[in-house]
Amino acid sequence: MVAATEVIIPYHEVRDDLWRPLGPASGRYWVALILAFLVSAWGLGCWGYQIYAGIGVAGINRPVSWGFYLVNFVFWIGISHAGTLISAILRLTDAGWRKPVTRVAEAITVFALMIGGMFPLIHLGRVWVFYWLIPYPNSRLLWPNFRSPLVWDLTAIVTYLTGSMIYLYLPLIPDVAQLAQETTGWRKRLYSALAMGWTGSDREWHSLEFAMKLMAGLILAVAVSVHTVVSWDFSMSLAPTWHSTIFGPYFVTGAIFSGIAALLLVMVVVRRALHLEKYLLKKHFNNLGKLLLLLSVAWLYFTAAENLTIWYGNDPKEMQVFGARTRGGYAPFFWFMVFCNFVVPFVLLGIRRLRTINNTAIAAACVLVGMWLERFLIIVPTLATPRLAASWGHYAPTWVEISISCATFSGMIFMYLVFSKLFPIISVWEFEPHPLEDE
Amino acid sequence: MSVYLSADFASVEPATKAVRDLKSHGFGLDDLAVYSDEPILFPRGVLDRPRHMSLTAVFGAITLMLVATGFIYFTQHNYPLITGGMPIFSFWATGIITYEFTMFGAILSTFACFLWESGLIRKRDSAPLPRIRPERIHLRVRCNPDQTDAANQLMLRAGASEITRL
Repeated sequence: MVAATEVIIPYHEVRDDLWRPLGPASGRYWVALILAFLVSAWGLGCWGYQIYAGIGVAGINRPVSWGFYLVNFVFWIGISHAGTLISAILRLTDAGWRKPVTRVAEAITVFALMIGGMFPLIHLGRVWVFYWLIPYPNSRLLWPNFRSPLVWDLTAIVTYLTGSMIYLYLPLIPDVAQLAQETTGWRKRLYSALAMGWTGSDREWHSLEFAMKLMAGLILAVAVSVHTVVSWDFSMSLAPTWHSTIFGPYFVTGAIFSGIAALLLVMVVVRRALHLEKYLLKKHFNNLGKLLLLLSVAWLYFTAAENLTIWYGNDPKEMQVFGARTRGGYAPFFWFMVFCNFVVPFVLLGIRRLRTINNTAIAAACVLVGMWLERFLIIVPTLATPRLAASWGHYAPTWVEISISCATFSGMIFMYLVFSKLFPIISVWEFEPHPLEDE
Repeated sequence: MSVYLSADFASVEPATKAVRDLKSHGFGLDDLAVYSDEPILFPRGVLDRPRHMSLTAVFGAITLMLVATGFIYFTQHNYPLITGGMPIFSFWATGIITYEFTMFGAILSTFACFLWESGLIRKRDSAPLPRIRPERIHLRVRCNPDQTDAANQLMLRAGASEITRL
């Protein structure tokens, strides 16, 4: 147990501390922002090149028609479960410790969804005909596939993104209303527009609190459905190892797992960079670390259940993929994934003495690497080893795919840096003064 | 001509007593407004405002569910594709789309209802607002000039630390 002194942080100090990061940017901030921008711009340029030259510049081929782009799509949609889902669960269960964590998490959701949602478009190649997915007036008698899970993805992601943006925006209103009173120039105009004339009346507070509770319930249902739909992109096909009934919960568990890892990593960075040591406490990392450990065990259970069923069933077509994953060319990735997703979190988070903030960050970083590999190992070996042995193939990403993949991470960093300069990263009005932690 | 008074309270209990006393002396819910920099939890029945957010969410959900169903039905029947009698959609595929539309309707209507019920998008009156101080509760009372003294007395007796005329 952490001992606490009797010193309470007064409200004005809380406000000053949480508003300080909105002030003039440091040199390190600008360097990080410019670097993130340049890498993102390079990625956008690569996408432009792919549009110009055609999808052939990517490494996807027959039979591996889904490569890095779909891996990134599933990965980022999974990361998006960090925020809204975790925030909604903690809000509905009225977990008091959630308050400094929620906005950090909700912002991750919105940005991750924006990035993830781009990948089906990037993967399409001819992005300008994306509207063929929608049943618009069809005078040319086109044959869009309305049964394609891509249509489900479209509706699910649009719903989740809209809900997440509203869910991020709602608790932001009281904070921007206060900021509108304290700032001048373009910031005042921006905050005033976003505050929509918030006055702090009981009518507004009651509506806000009830709307947030209602949204929390709705967003939970949508979040679970989104990653289930993403998993069904695979399990609705008859490809070896994909056609599985546990893919829905397996993906949702993996999504929450990677989401919490992303949240922890961002919290560590934000804590250090914005000097929020008084607000993002050891107990927050401890609680989220325990949650990460629990999900690591759940992930191992699902992975074992999935692979054991394949192995025991001994279907030759599935065993080919299983063999490629565990003993063949993909085996180093598979075992490294198990190491990252289970061994590291189990040791660093399972042993209480080792569950420090730094070790939690190491475990979270490992989980992110492991979960990206997991998405890769679900998609690529199955496609590279189809039922007909004569069709077996190989996939190697090109520099275009690698560049675009790197750009998604820098894009995330860029958006987060801009967001943290515009809005308080911890909700000021939700933050109750608390005793200082004696670490 | 209405007069606006603003009483300053340090905690919820005296503010609750003031609201109760004012209500029992004939002040309506519309005459009273509480301002603070954080949500104040009053006991049930003290300052309950009518709320239709849940109902609106259900209505929004049903509306977009019907829109999705209609969209699917009319696409199925009117889309100019020759399928030899085979359906364009399957039940499961449309079920997922309908579900997402339903949730989309609930989310949008909740947000719209929040904007309406909180008063953020409604036309505002020109009533003056108290300046909110951190960790204080401000009770604004609208009264006739002849009710001012009574309102003043009630709020002071309830525990207001300061009363100002806005």
